[in-house]
Amino acid sequence: MSTEAAPDPAEAEIAADLARRIAAGNASAEEELVQRYSRGLLYLLRRLGASPDLADDLHQETFRIVLERLRRKGLDDPAGLGGFLRGTARNLMTAERRKTARRRTDGDDAALEQVVNPSPGQLSSVLLDEEAGIVRKLIGEMPTDRDRQLLLRFYVAEEDKESICSDLGLESLHFNRVLFRARQRFKELLERFEKRQALSRGS
Amino acid sequence: MDHTTIEERHVVDRYVMGALPPEEAESFEEHYLSCPQCLDRLALAESMQRGFKRAAGQDVARLAATRQLALVAWLSRLSRSRQAAALLLVLLAVAILPGALALWQLGERDRELAATRRALDHEREQSAAGAHTAAELEELRSALDASRRDLAQEQQARAQAAEQLAHTAGQLAQVRVPQVNVPLLYLDVVRGGGSPDDAPRLHQPPAASWAFLSLQLGSSSAPSYRAILRDAEGREIWRGTGLLPSGEIDALSLNLSLPGSLLAPGDYTLITEGVGGQKAPPRRFTFRVLPPR
Repeated sequence: MSTEAAPDPAEAEIAADLARRIAAGNASAEEELVQRYSRGLLYLLRRLGASPDLADDLHQETFRIVLERLRRKGLDDPAGLGGFLRGTARNLMTAERRKTARRRTDGDDAALEQVVNPSPGQLSSVLLDEEAGIVRKLIGEMPTDRDRQLLLRFYVAEEDKESICSDLGLESLHFNRVLFRARQRFKELLERFEKRQALSRGS
Repeated sequence: MDHTTIEERHVVDRYVMGALPPEEAESFEEHYLSCPQCLDRLALAESMQRGFKRAAGQDVARLAATRQLALVAWLSRLSRSRQAAALLLVLLAVAILPGALALWQLGERDRELAATRRALDHEREQSAAGAHTAAELEELRSALDASRRDLAQEQQARAQAAEQLAHTAGQLAQVRVPQVNVPLLYLDVVRGGGSPDDAPRLHQPPAASWAFLSLQLGSSSAPSYRAILRDAEGREIWRGTGLLPSGEIDALSLNLSLPGSLLAPGDYTLITEGVGGQKAPPRRFTFRVLPPR
């Protein structure tokens, strides 16, 4: 498999087109850019540890910087627009962490406790319990004990695929199949729950 | 990064777990920024993982609670006396454990103390042995110093002896060579109380030189004589035997030489006495030695 940072050809073509249009002063291209990358960028920022509020702020700041750059002088490699967005977001997050570290020299235990172990809200708690319930149902539906072990070792113990297959005497294809089916079933049950939630909120 | 790879390598799940290598994570991040399908997959994977972790946590908590409940249930099934005994056991354990721990620690300290003492004793023994050795060393040094002193004395004595030998050899060598200006004194027998002032005189010869004396006997019937030299205080200076008379029958004499070192300035008396033959009275000869010229 190729793991280099080079974008997919189709994605590279779209990104290059967007960069060129924005550099040419096309306002709709700027909207397209935001629409195309907004969700992923927000997810990345949350993934990097930003709180929802901070993620929103950095999300906007990232787009501001990238758009200004595209308007002013464009990119040396327009196809690498995704990489430029990602790098800008990461740099902003790193700068934010440094700023916070400079501001706070004393330990705020209460705030730290909040960050490390945020207590879920009422809705989140329900969702978490439902997710756990779905997992139990899913495990209960597994046809064999070996498949149950496979799921627990992969998702709970976070063991790698090779060691699980070796220990349980499984082939790679079987492992993939079990995981795929489990994911599909989980998705199905979760969507069912979300529908119920939506209905109860509607009523 | 394409979706086939993402699916085959379980990239989404591994990314959520934080198990992707940095390069692969970077590649996947650039991909999902603009990929709604992967973002859906990511949301689902996070949800699944949360569900599994929460379920596992709940199971662990439930298991712990079940064990606690089982204990309570077991206790409740016991009679009051057994409950009291169980409580007493727990209390005893709580009370005894710190004490036992303290005792164990005390024992450990005792063992450490004993080991330290043993090490200290060993150290002292070594120190004593060291002091003993130092005393022996001091004794050896004294003996060495004494030997050195003896050696120095010996060397000094040897030097003196060598010096004396050289001196004697010099004297001997001087004796072996012909000597001139040797004083010669003819002495006649002193009869009655002769005055020393009338005695023959000679100047003290050098220490390495000699003085010859010729004692005039006249006639003699003794084949040999002994002679005794005394100073003015009557101390015996020299005694000799086997002196043979020489000369004509009625003008016999005894000839002898005395070293200069023997003759300090002063008055001397030389007495001769015949040995063997007819007994004859001793003869007395006197002379005076004057200071060297």
